[in-house]
Amino acid sequence: ATEWNVSVWGKRRAFTEHVEKLAELVSAKTNGEFTMNISYGGLSKNKENLDGISIGAFEMAQFCAGYHRDKNPSITVLELPFLGVNTLAEEVAVSHAVYAHEAAQKDLARWNAKLLMTSPMPQYNIVGTGAPRDKVSEFKDMRVRATGGIGKAFAAVGAVPTSVTATEAYNAMESGVVDTVAFAQHAHLSYGTINRAEWWTANLNPGTVNCPVVVNTDAYDALSDSERAALDSSVGEAIDHCLAIYGALLEKWDSVLEEKGVTKVMMSEDELAGFRATAADPIREQWIKDMEAQGIPGQELYDLVMKTLNDARAGNYAAPVTARG
Amino acid sequence: MEPIEIGLWVTGFLLVLVVLGMRVAFAAGLAGLVGLVWIFWAKFGYDPARFGKALTIAVKTAGQVPHSKVSSQALSLIPTFILIGYLAYYAGLTRALFEAAKRWIAWLPGGLAVATVFATAGFAAVSGASVATSAVFARIAIPEMLAVGYNKRFAAGVVAAAGTLASLIPPSAILVIYAIIVEQDVGKLLLAGFIPGAFSAVVYVLLIIGIAVIFKNVGPPVTGFTWRQRFESLPAALPIVFVVVIIICFVYNPFGGDAWGTPTEGGALGAFVVFCMALWRGMRWSEFKSALLETAKLTVMIFTIIWGVLIYVRFLGFADLPGAFSDWITSLAMSPMVILICILLAYAVLGMFMDAIGMLLLTLPVVYPAVMALNGGESVAAVDSAFGMSGPMCAIWFGILVVKMAEFCLITPPIGLNCFVVAGVRDDLSVQDVFHGVMPFFIADGVTIALLVAFPAIVLYLPSLA
Amino acid sequence: MAGNAAVMEDGSLISRLDRKLLQLEQVFALLSGLAVFSLMLLAVVSVGGRNAFNAPLPGYVDWIEQAMPLIAFMGIAYVQRDGSHIRMDIVVGALRGRALWLFELISVLLMLVLMLALVWGSWSHFEGSFDFAAPLWSRDSSIDISLPIWPAKLLAPVAFSVLCLRLMLQAWGYGRALVQGLDTPPAVPLIQDAAKQAAAEAEQLVGHDNDALNGQG
Ligand code: NA
Ligand code: NA
Repeated sequence: ATEWNVSVWGKRRAFTEHVEKLAELVSAKTNGEFTMNISYGGLSKNKENLDGISIGAFEMAQFCAGYHRDKNPSITVLELPFLGVNTLAEEVAVSHAVYAHEAAQKDLARWNAKLLMTSPMPQYNIVGTGAPRDKVSEFKDMRVRATGGIGKAFAAVGAVPTSVTATEAYNAMESGVVDTVAFAQHAHLSYGTINRAEWWTANLNPGTVNCPVVVNTDAYDALSDSERAALDSSVGEAIDHCLAIYGALLEKWDSVLEEKGVTKVMMSEDELAGFRATAADPIREQWIKDMEAQGIPGQELYDLVMKTLNDARAGNYAAPVTARG
Repeated sequence: MEPIEIGLWVTGFLLVLVVLGMRVAFAAGLAGLVGLVWIFWAKFGYDPARFGKALTIAVKTAGQVPHSKVSSQALSLIPTFILIGYLAYYAGLTRALFEAAKRWIAWLPGGLAVATVFATAGFAAVSGASVATSAVFARIAIPEMLAVGYNKRFAAGVVAAAGTLASLIPPSAILVIYAIIVEQDVGKLLLAGFIPGAFSAVVYVLLIIGIAVIFKNVGPPVTGFTWRQRFESLPAALPIVFVVVIIICFVYNPFGGDAWGTPTEGGALGAFVVFCMALWRGMRWSEFKSALLETAKLTVMIFTIIWGVLIYVRFLGFADLPGAFSDWITSLAMSPMVILICILLAYAVLGMFMDAIGMLLLTLPVVYPAVMALNGGESVAAVDSAFGMSGPMCAIWFGILVVKMAEFCLITPPIGLNCFVVAGVRDDLSVQDVFHGVMPFFIADGVTIALLVAFPAIVLYLPSLA
Repeated sequence: MAGNAAVMEDGSLISRLDRKLLQLEQVFALLSGLAVFSLMLLAVVSVGGRNAFNAPLPGYVDWIEQAMPLIAFMGIAYVQRDGSHIRMDIVVGALRGRALWLFELISVLLMLVLMLALVWGSWSHFEGSFDFAAPLWSRDSSIDISLPIWPAKLLAPVAFSVLCLRLMLQAWGYGRALVQGLDTPPAVPLIQDAAKQAAAEAEQLVGHDNDALNGQG
């Protein structure tokens, strides 16, 4: 019998449902021979999950690329602002394409980690207090809680990114430390920022964070053939399960906005194009330059994302179910 | 062997180390490390060839904990709260407070004792540590009480008991530690301590007045201050109000509208104001340096316990002992309230022998999930819960109860640190004298705890507004 | 429980080494105190910048997290020097002479075992975040403004190594007391009974209070 410890964090939620589903499927397929104990924060702090994988303290873990860009520079391509990802299915397709790329695998191999699957994440959007801001020019001097590439994008149009942790986001909004907070919908719900909000940007879609699930390479190699097959074959199903849950949550979203009296702000296509031109291009170019300087094929990774996105839109893209190259 | 059995053995090992006098932080760290080695080696089927591998994983896992756990914004409140207390001595705030309280309320029966309680409560609003608070007031308040004919033991008891207010009334280092262990909102917890702290002070005051009325010679009133003298005493004490307002307003704005910032900023700004005041009063570099050294020392003591215990807690995570304990507690055929009271009584016993912070850090990782499970889970709604409050509210309520218990233990024999300190300041008082004098306050604390258990609204009113 | 204890000093080699090491420990502890002070200044800059210039300190949280290890670790040996790390001394407090030194020796050796392991473990944690080939030698960075984390991680093994030196010295001191049957050996913290200990603590505070009051005239 094989028993894996899995390190995730927080509470059980949509964000972790694919991991729960994976454990369930694997156990069923192996008649309980291969089981997973999922621990919510008991085995490691979220920012240290990759370290835990690296030393072999547990066999599987989830983390977000933006927590520590220097640990996983290659996959931060997926956190660049304004990639143009519109749906969760597209999000899964581009993530898995990058995970299958040699550069990403080499990057994670430094941590003895193998990329197994992504955690589907909707696009971030901001909630704010005061009068709705539906023009990019109104972002000037706006204090926004946004990290990483998204924070840089807002800074590019004159906003002031302010650092508070996710758990302090609500307090920060309440106290006026920030005017706006960028999260995906479910996080606006679970961190309570939606309760302080007067408006929400429905179509700003500046980007998202990328949170892969990885396994310890030695543990993966030590699996029997049937166990490995059970694991690999369950990834697609686990992701589908997660997409369904998010789908239901997003369907409810409009009624949540209505119930809390939050105005839905739609920005015009012109405004969005202006934002992209100001923010996306320079940040991407800088990112590619930084990556190439480290010997990581930044341009190639970015092109891969764009190509995958086009293919996915054209409907002729067969998403790899696992990230194995 | 099952991980849970390993968990129990290692926990036993830890208790032996602690009882034998190994320093708590290191005993916990060592137990955690031994437990991790055991658990990883058990996973390898106790294969001698792979012991080295298990050892390596365990050491590296334990080695992550110190940096990982102390690098937290919320924990930064602890050193700033401690620094505020030390700087407040240099700013002369303590004596000014007592002088003002004396002139305004010493005319009551037991008036100087009442003034001591109120001045201590005021000082508690800028100081995060109980023991230091008692030490200062033993020096300032006891001589004045003795001068007007107070019973010696009674005067000492008042000071020892009043010192415990410092850990309930925000800022409080111990409430921050509780919030960190149980991962709850620090701001709301600090806010929640306010009314129970004030409430405890009022219970103390009523008890003092009652005693002074019944036993005429215990604490005679002091009269004769003119209104002019009263108002003259205020300016020197006013800065403390300013600091309190800053800290409160950064946690929650009682004037309506938004708070002014985060608790982290509020604590640090409060320290800055006291620092400026101390400078203005002529603090010298040597004094500043010793304030920094004392702050560093107390902070390091607390942080070493924090990361040491968290190595043990990391091991518990692998052994899943908290889960097993909470399953066991919820399976007991007793009413949740009875179980909760048993848990509080267990704290009273444990607190007789252990330091408050060490006790909370060691027990909460196991006890807290069990209490939450008793109430119906982390995210239970008030209507479905056993104690009639939502999960997050239960976390706050239990936190205040536990901290009040821990403070109670500071005045109970055989090891009541506050009493030792008071006896230490006064050559004419033995530890037995202080324990004798503090005894009436056991009743006051018992009443307070019972009321907090019976009427959770006392604790939850403020946080439910925020 | 906790508390200060007296450390005897004399002209012996061990006592001289003790005082040498104490100098280093004091510098480290003062660094820790200054780091607390810097937290305060950080908050002033952050709140002031935000309210006066709409320019909050970028990466405020990141900077705090970088300062915390400095605060938490640097004074660890200084605190061990005079035996201030919290413990329950009901049992050891009842012991006298050789029996006491034996208990203390075992306790210090166990601590040494733990700390040597943690020097190894925390060093390896540091190594994971350090990479000579990477920009700023960084292989692990903070969440908001991407500060390299390796300097903060390095503080743990450094401070723990100094503690190991202190523990070795104390093991020697207790061992020497055990062998020679000394009453008041130098270079190790001697247990005072609880009341005396509290008196020492209180005197310290009272000293401060008086100074402060005298300071204002
Ligand atoms: Na306080
Ligand atoms: Na006690």
